[in-house]
Parts: sequence; structure tokens; C-alpha cells
Amino acid sequence: MPVALYRIDDRLIHGQVVVGWGQPLNLGFIVLIDDVVAESEWEQELYRLGVPPNMEVYFVSTADAARDIDKYMADRRTGMILTGSVEAMLTLARTAVRPITAVNVGGIHHREDRTQKLRYVFLNESEEQALRDMAELGIVVTAQDLPSATAHSLEALLRGCAS
Amino acid sequence: MCKLTLESLLFAILPVSLLGAVAGLDMVSFPQIMLSRPLVSATLAGAFIGRPGAGLLIGAVLELIALETLPFGASRYAEWGSAGVVGGVVMAGQPIGAAGALPVAMFVALATAVFSSRSMVWVRNWNAHQARRLRTELDVGSPTAVDSLQLRGLTMDLIRGFSVTFIALLILFPLSRRIVAIWGVDAVHSRAVVTALAATVAAGAIWTLTHRAARAGWLFVLGLGAGTALLLLQ
Amino acid sequence: MTNPKSTQRARNEVGTPAPVSSWAVGASFLRLFAVQGSWNYETMIGNGIAFCMKPLLRGLPEERYRAALARQGRYFNAHPYLAGIAVGSLARGELDGEDPVRIDRYRTALCGPLGSVGDQLVWAGWLPLCSLMALTAFALGAGPLVVVCIFLGAYNAGHIALRAWGLRVGLRRGMRVAPALSNPLFRDGPAVLARVSAVLAGLILPLALQRIIGPGRVLAGGVAVVAVVGAVILARFGARATGWRAALALLSIFVLYSVAH
Repeated sequence: MPVALYRIDDRLIHGQVVVGWGQPLNLGFIVLIDDVVAESEWEQELYRLGVPPNMEVYFVSTADAARDIDKYMADRRTGMILTGSVEAMLTLARTAVRPITAVNVGGIHHREDRTQKLRYVFLNESEEQALRDMAELGIVVTAQDLPSATAHSLEALLRGCAS
Repeated sequence: MCKLTLESLLFAILPVSLLGAVAGLDMVSFPQIMLSRPLVSATLAGAFIGRPGAGLLIGAVLELIALETLPFGASRYAEWGSAGVVGGVVMAGQPIGAAGALPVAMFVALATAVFSSRSMVWVRNWNAHQARRLRTELDVGSPTAVDSLQLRGLTMDLIRGFSVTFIALLILFPLSRRIVAIWGVDAVHSRAVVTALAATVAAGAIWTLTHRAARAGWLFVLGLGAGTALLLLQ
Repeated sequence: MTNPKSTQRARNEVGTPAPVSSWAVGASFLRLFAVQGSWNYETMIGNGIAFCMKPLLRGLPEERYRAALARQGRYFNAHPYLAGIAVGSLARGELDGEDPVRIDRYRTALCGPLGSVGDQLVWAGWLPLCSLMALTAFALGAGPLVVVCIFLGAYNAGHIALRAWGLRVGLRRGMRVAPALSNPLFRDGPAVLARVSAVLAGLILPLALQRIIGPGRVLAGGVAVVAVVGAVILARFGARATGWRAALALLSIFVLYSVAH
């Protein structure tokens, strides 16, 4: 399976992504889906610095990602598709030419309108609804910051039962 | 002979817990100079009890295991500072030559690491609570509030490390003495089991860390050959 | 901890880039060691960034000083040893009167790379290498003092140099630190460290086993084989296995067996 992980993480490319998941999964590429970053060269330059030389990063908009997902799935290297928001992942899931089977919620940080669900996940009502919508599309949604950590089901995540 | 008795533990537990507090604080909050690595914290604890060699032995075993722990900021990981101190004290506090000393010290240190890992989450949640309490002042850029929040966090982490070490020693040191007294496997095989476990975790961790680098596998084999040759020459 | 003279001088020069005294840089550097002091799941090291930046910003007029502290205390995450880059470059941005919206965007974009680069270089590279160097000394028969000094000396030479470099480069380059982060040390360093670690890991495995177990090459060899096979099994489980917790579970069984025996 060339795309090993679909991850929602508003810190985008950081240590957990590159080392925590990148090393054990032997990632060859990351597709970073963010409409703002896709238009900003200086932000792309910074994010590119965060990955090792043997890992490629593609910066794409949500619309382009939905269209090109076949290309990433056909890649011989193992890859990760990364969005900074729940909404972007839901849009991708609804519009992608190939179905997404599982989504990993890796980190959504605190904001005034959000409440804490897990120690690394804070959600507002519309984000909760978006995750439920993903589940209705048949996607298995779990929350897990690192591969060695416990994966929490969507029900457990929305209940906010675990630390 | 063993220099640490159950009675003398009562006098040693406060300074040793202070050492656990400093090592625990070093893990994340201040100053992260790696006093918290078990190789250091267990050796220092052993030296405090009067047996630095015993502290180094358990420290080396725990260090092999700690190679697996990458302390990514937002993730949950073992806190080796206070766990190493507890392991060092338990190891150095057993009768010299006791067969069960190393496995029991390792067991106690790992059990403490589970507890101390949880205690770090409590402190982080407590820090968030303090930040919420100071939110109005922080939002207007109060310099006093900025310093205050930082100092509160540092103080609470110091208290956390002290408490973890104190509680673990109070409960686990007497228990460890009892277990070691009725230990039923000889010293060589006891050490072999401990070493096999630690080396397995270490080898797995090294593989995870290095396998992406070109020729890392061959370099490992090269090192293994050199190490084996040195061993045979000794 | 203020330096009234430099503060007053800087405040008299509103409109021009405020100077940063060496005292302020020194104070900020020392504070960097406590940057994670109030780490929490909501703002992570955000308050720590404001705490470290405080001495550097003291030269600003009161209103700008407080606005900057409020802005810099919000959510931020980075590797602690590279946080100095953020502290230096964002402080320079504030002192130079950069647009707050641009500072915010730059701040957000800086989080990921500083975390990722630091994790690769330090947590996954330098720290294990220094551990293995100290364990090599242990395996070769060195005493407690030598082993601890090798580990702390080697590790902190790199650690403290990295913190100092980060703050200096951040202050000098301001909000243009990307070229500094493309330094070959960050790009190629982790792979080089991984290769050296691989050699050392192979070297110490048989030697350390014998020192811990004691005399008996056959037993040490047997344990080495068990360790390699166990590591392969761990690797097969992939990322999802936590070795140290598995070790605790197996050790519990061994303790129970030994006590019952």
C-alpha cells in the first residue's frame, strides 16, 4: 500500500510525523494538503527543511489532491497524506477519485472554540460532525499520536474518555 | 554486606528523593542536560548509597532500554530520571552478590517509569489549568504572569519528581528486599534474562533509528564482528 | 533582572531598530534552558518562548513590549534546543517592527521545521550516539565516573553549542532563518550519526553483554542471538510495539517464576 497513512495534524510537518511515523513506516514522500501553504513559497521552503533528504514533500491544494490521489497511490514509495484540518480531510474523502479507508487524527491543538478530547486533540462542534461524516463514508477514524501509542476509536475520541 | 538497611532508608530517602526530583526535572523542564538518562541518574543514586558500580550496572541496562524512548514533546514517554534513581537505589541497596538484585532493580525501575510517565501528564494538565487561570493577564502581555506561569510549572515538576521517587522507594524498596531474599534462580541466569530483554529492546530501537541510513545494516555487522573479535581476544 | 540603562536607551529610540545588549542576550540564553518549564497540551512551549524573549524585548516601548509578549506567549511547539532560533528571529522581528500578521504566520510555519529538524538531529541522532559512546566505555570496562563524564561531556558539548548557535543565528538573520536551517549539519547530519551509531551498536552488543552477565562466552553468545532474533520480531511488529513495556511484562513473569521457584 503506497499511501500508508492519512493523517490530520495541524502542526503539519514536525518530529512526530517525520521521525515518529516516518522512520518505522520508511516514508518516501509526504503529500501536504493545505490551500494556504500550496500558494506560499517561503512557507514551503521552511517545511521542506523539516524532512530528511531522502523524503520528498508535495505541497498541493485540496482540489489538486483529490484529482491526483491516484498518482500518489500508484507511487512505489510509501507515502503519507497530511492535512492540517478535519475539513480538508473530509473534502478530500468526498472528492477523491479513490476511496479512503482509514484516517488518523494525530494532533489538533487548543483554540478558544475547541474542547479537549484527548491530550493531543481539541475539537469544536463542526469538527466533531466532520469526523462523524467521515465515519458515515465508511472511513475508520482513529486518534493516535505515535505508532506505539494506543489508537482510540472515534467513539472514544468524541467521548473524550482517554488521556 | 549491604550499606543500605530498611532503617537507614528512612534517613536516606529524603536526599535521594531530592536527587530524583532534580533528575525528573531535567527530563523536560530544566535544564535538559541529560542527568535524567538512567545511565547518569542510576549511577548517581548508586554512588549516593556508596556503590556507584552497582548503580552503573543497572544504569547501563536501563540505558539500553531507554534507547527506545524518543522524547517527542507532545507524546507520552517514560520519565527515566526518577525511575533511574529508584533503580539505582534498589540495586545498590541489595546485599552484594544477591542473585535477584539486577532483575528486581530493573523491574522496580520500569514499574516506576510507568508511574512517572503518567505523572508527567498530570503536571502538563496542571500547567494548562494554571495557564487558563492566568489567561486574562497573559492576553495583555503581563511580564509578571509570563514569569509566574513558568516558575509554577518548574516548581510543580520538581515536586512531581520528588513525590514519584519518594513514593516508589517507600513502597518498592522494602518489597524488593523481600523478593531478593526469596529469589530462586541463580545469578548468572538471572542476569542473562535481564540482559536478553534489554539487548532486544536496544537492538530493535537501533534498527528503527538507523535502518534508513545507507549501509547501516552492513556497518552494524562490521561493528558486531569487531566486538566479537575483541571479546575473543580478551 | 532588568538592565535599566539599556532599557531606557532603547526606549528613547522608538522608530529605529531597538538595540539588544549582550546582557539581554545572555539572560535570554540562560532562560532557554527552562523554555519547557510550563509545557502543557494547550499552548505547549508558547509561554516558554515569551519567557525567553522577555529580556530581548525590554527595549521596546511599553505598549509594543506587552503586545509582543502576548503574541509570543500563544501556542508554539519546537524542539527545545532549537527554540533559540525562534526566540532570536521572532524577537528580531518584533524589535524591527515587522507586521504582526506576518510575525504570526512566520511563527506558525516555524513550529514544524524546528521540531522536525531537532528531533532528527538530537533525539534520533545525537542522544543515542552519545548513549552508545558511553555504553562502549562501559563495555570496555570503564568505571562509573568515566562513563558518566563521557556521556555528559560529549552530549552537552553538542547540546549547549546548538542552543547558543540557534539564538545567535536567529537574532542575526531575523525572519529569514531558512538558509541557516539548510546547513549540511541538519540535512546530512542525522544520516552520518545513524551510521556511526550502527557501528557502535554492533561493537558494544557482545562486549556489554559479557560485562553485565559476567564470565561465560557461550551464555553471552546465546543472549546475543536471542537479542538479535527478538529485535527482528520487534521490527516485524513494526512501529506498534513498545519494547520497554513488553520487557516489563516479561520481567514480571520472570520475577513471579523466580519467587515461586
